[in-house]
Amino acid sequence: MLSRLFEALYLKVFVNIVIKRAVCTVYIELLSKKNVIKSVEENFDTKFMNEKMLAFISRYTNESPYYYISVLDNSSSQGAIPTCSKNQLGQYHDMTSSEYRCFKEKWSYFTSQSDLYALEKQYKQIGLDFLFSPFVLLANFFKDKIDNHLAMFVLVEENYLSLAIFDNSELLFAKHLDVRNHKDEDAVLAYEEDSSDLNFDLDEGIDLDDITAIDELDTLDDFGNIEDLDSLEEIDEFSESKDLEEEFYQANLNASEQKTSTGINEDYQRFLLIQSSVKRFYADDKYEGTFIESVYIADGCGVSADLKGYLEEEMFLSVYVRKIDLAMQVCEMAKAELNS
Amino acid sequence: MKYSYIKPRKKSIFTAELKITMTFFIMTLGMLFLTYTFLVYKDLRFSQERDEIIQKRFDFGVAIEDMKEQIVFIEKEALLSERIYTQNAVLKDSIANLFDLIPQRITLSEASLLENGLILFGITPSKDVYNFMLQAPLRSIFHKTYSSFYPQPNGWLKFVSTNYIEEESYETNISNSRNQEIKEENGDEN
Repeated sequence: MLSRLFEALYLKVFVNIVIKRAVCTVYIELLSKKNVIKSVEENFDTKFMNEKMLAFISRYTNESPYYYISVLDNSSSQGAIPTCSKNQLGQYHDMTSSEYRCFKEKWSYFTSQSDLYALEKQYKQIGLDFLFSPFVLLANFFKDKIDNHLAMFVLVEENYLSLAIFDNSELLFAKHLDVRNHKDEDAVLAYEEDSSDLNFDLDEGIDLDDITAIDELDTLDDFGNIEDLDSLEEIDEFSESKDLEEEFYQANLNASEQKTSTGINEDYQRFLLIQSSVKRFYADDKYEGTFIESVYIADGCGVSADLKGYLEEEMFLSVYVRKIDLAMQVCEMAKAELNS
Repeated sequence: MKYSYIKPRKKSIFTAELKITMTFFIMTLGMLFLTYTFLVYKDLRFSQERDEIIQKRFDFGVAIEDMKEQIVFIEKEALLSERIYTQNAVLKDSIANLFDLIPQRITLSEASLLENGLILFGITPSKDVYNFMLQAPLRSIFHKTYSSFYPQPNGWLKFVSTNYIEEESYETNISNSRNQEIKEENGDEN
């Protein structure tokens, strides 16, 4: 009772930290009851807590004892699985060294315990109150679409991709992908697909190729109904796709000139990751392989139109991109959790 | 609904410094309050004891007054008893003297002692015996003496002798004796 009174008297300070590739975004919101008194965002050229960042955060946290530190989980060992049943969790992921939570009794999201402890240790100076999974962020951001669509939803961060396929709020497949670490492997995969004559001994490559062949057959079957579906526009798009492909290669060449270190455009990397994940989704018997027609992208880092183009042209998906302010979204989740 | 992997830490306005400061103030206030309570209690006890002492003193005063009254009363009783004793002694002496006055030949049947007189009833062999042996001493004592005789069948005479002391001389004697008593009392007190 007394604590609620004090809570009402004091400001609430939400400190939201999102770690990006080279910078760390700190978004702070000061709330009086339900009204936002002040909000401030600052980027720091560090991935870890430093004195400058600590001073910035302390300046606001000192204003009230009711401050909450929220961090978006960037563990590479995280993911989501389409069940909440303890018996079935092991079928998808070994949970012995993972921390997991159930989302609306429908699906689960997990992260590595060691990464969790590492984060807690990293933020020992200011403490940690909330740690959110990007999948939960994605589920809340596309809440209106997830509940009544069958689609793929992708949260794009600078370093990571959180990909989830939902069928009317039921999770079918999810994957958290590290863009940098998969770069080489996926590039190889991409080249492998482009040059179908070459056969690598990689198991995944062989499997995916086989599955691609099956998928293509299925796709051909589906083409029989194209006219019924009044897909003249799509045909037009196909007619233009060659030009786009040309443009893509041109753009890719330009990018290769600019980004000598990576060699391949990042959006293309993301596309390859998405493509390989979708292939895995179709191939793996564990998942219910429903055909995906559309993809919703939550753009948290400013992807170019290329990604949309790749997905539309290469995978024939309807792509919808929404901009997302990750730090602000984390803040909204912290507020929602605190008020629940 | 809970989304976070971890639970938020419990928030409190009581920081470590504030807790120490508050503990200090609470202890100080507690000690002050205890001291105040102790003083109030002692003050109450002193007031009660004072009231009890005042009441006792009043009771003692009342008791002293009672005792003084009792002493006065007892002194009066003592005086009275002494006086009665004296009177009784005087009366005893008087009676003894009276019986000494009575000669052997005269027999008394009744004697009434009055405040200022004496009435004697008796039998005498003759008037002469009475006049010489009894009336003479009676006259020396009393101012007025009246005698009556009644003859008996055996020749003896019954007599009634009524003797009075005059009022003035009696009162003078009484007042003299009282003055003497008062003087004696004053003399004792001094």
